[in-house]
Amino acid sequence: MLSLEGLHITRGQGAAGHEVRLPGLELASGEVQAVVGPSGCGKSTLLEAIGLLLTPRALRRFTLGPERTDLAALLQGGNERALAEIRARDLGFLLQSGGLLPFLSVRDNIALPRRLLGLPPQSERVAHACDVLGLAPLLDKRPGALSIGERQRTAFVRAMAHEPRLLLADEPTAALDPQAGERLFGLIVSLVQELDMAALVVSHDLALVTRFRLPRLVATLTPGGCRFAPAT
Amino acid sequence: MSRARLILRLALQDLWHDRYVSLCIAAALVAVIAPLLLLFGLKHGVISQLQRELLDDPRNLEVRMLTSGSYDEAWLDQVRALPGVGFAIGQTRSLNTQADLLRDRRHFLEGVELVPSAPGDPMLEEAGAVPEGDGVVLSEPAARRLGVAAGDTLTLAASRRLDDRPERGRLEVTVLGVLPPARFPRPAAFIDLPLLIELERFRDGHPSPRLGVAHGNRRDDYPLRYARARIFASDDEAVAGVVAALEARHIDTASRLAEIENVRAINRVLGLIFGVIAITALIGCLASMAGAFMANIDRKRREYAVLRLLGFHKPGVAAYVAAQVGLLTLVAFAAGLGLFALGSAVFNRALASSHLAAGVVSHITVVHALIALGLTLAVALLVTALSVARAFGIQPAESLREA
Repeated sequence: MLSLEGLHITRGQGAAGHEVRLPGLELASGEVQAVVGPSGCGKSTLLEAIGLLLTPRALRRFTLGPERTDLAALLQGGNERALAEIRARDLGFLLQSGGLLPFLSVRDNIALPRRLLGLPPQSERVAHACDVLGLAPLLDKRPGALSIGERQRTAFVRAMAHEPRLLLADEPTAALDPQAGERLFGLIVSLVQELDMAALVVSHDLALVTRFRLPRLVATLTPGGCRFAPAT
Repeated sequence: MSRARLILRLALQDLWHDRYVSLCIAAALVAVIAPLLLLFGLKHGVISQLQRELLDDPRNLEVRMLTSGSYDEAWLDQVRALPGVGFAIGQTRSLNTQADLLRDRRHFLEGVELVPSAPGDPMLEEAGAVPEGDGVVLSEPAARRLGVAAGDTLTLAASRRLDDRPERGRLEVTVLGVLPPARFPRPAAFIDLPLLIELERFRDGHPSPRLGVAHGNRRDDYPLRYARARIFASDDEAVAGVVAALEARHIDTASRLAEIENVRAINRVLGLIFGVIAITALIGCLASMAGAFMANIDRKRREYAVLRLLGFHKPGVAAYVAAQVGLLTLVAFAAGLGLFALGSAVFNRALASSHLAAGVVSHITVVHALIALGLTLAVALLVTALSVARAFGIQPAESLREA
């Protein structure tokens, strides 16, 4: 599903500069990998680069999907429009605080990525996810009327509503209490497997990651930066 | 749903969700549009009222010659050819521009003013008739005192002394029309030029079978000369030019140029005052609206970042901002127009009894409203440009970083 090699990102310059390296990453369909590491090590930066939001300094290979679209070339060529289209179609983002639009109902928030792609607002998978996550009674509410847990569940359904190939989640359970966090984590893992997506989940919560036996991409601090590598 | 409809719908939902902020932004615009429209409406209403008062009275177009001379037909043609001259007709010596009008023993007027006229005379525009042959048009005081109306007949009489013998010429004339009371305040008869010349020649001793006096001293070489002329400018703008042209020919004139200039000066001063106020208000409006929108975009930075993250391209963001600015502007303009209508109604009602407001005091035309809409949309366009530039600075990655 995802194959990446030789990713090198630099943020800032000189002494304030920070380097993030990822020698290689392979993600299969249905696979969820956790990105773990201390605060400020560059987990979000890594997510930005894999989410096509940041042009890396170097990138040997980056392909996505069975057709193995060459994202490395698009990133290095700075083809903003093509990148934005791939981002909207093939990637789903689950943000730390949900990132729901406050002026849309839960239903419209979830339907927005599909509408932007010209797809019908409803889909079986979305309806199924809403049922599983207990969102059905909340569909007409605004995000302001939801609890944090409900918001995160809504954000998750929105992130997978257009059936992307890759889900990128940035500390989705950080704002939740442990029970709610665990429930959401479980739902992410099971739905990703069920829907044949791949997911990278940034998390601080090592216990949670261990409990779900997720393969880990672990940050190791290096002079002037950080290096991510699969835990052995 | 097409992308454009989706953007418009999202923009609307966002405005409605933030309706108090939207209301504040629109209110700032209404607070500029409504008073400006009222101010302009008043200026336009007052000025057009003054101009109408000036234009409605053809006497304001008259350039009167103060001195007499001896002018021939060729000179008159030259005057008619002057730029801005709408009507000119020769006039005999002032002594000969009087006659008596008699209906019967009880109804008669002595020494009535005779005014030469012809088709195109601005004074007769509302009389519905032009004197011709033995037909005359009377001023309202003359018709009233003689007790006659259009279609009645009168006797026009003039006296002369020939060889120490008093003689009286008479002509039966028909009243073709009567001027409205305000047009000519004195008793007068508008007659055609040949009749006036006939009367002058009679007074000068010529025989006049037309006036019933067959004897006299005929002089075939008697030249046709005019002592002066009745001259009218084609419109109020042309009066100054006609005055200048006549004065260049050393002819002293009297006209209502001062009043016309007065209205123009008032128009200029009011135009300047309105212009300065309008520019100041528009700049203030632009600043306030742009500030409000940019602050709004900063406030919603995360939402814009999320929209970009979900697949909004830059043109989509621009359309989103433009739709919001455009919608608020149109709502504000409609409200401003409504408030203007209310304010105008108050002005027109309150001032209807005053001298100025014989007609409408405050009003604007459709063209004015469209120009105002154009200006408002121009302000909206600038606000959009500034806001879009601001929104373009928001990167989709911010949704991750600030989350």
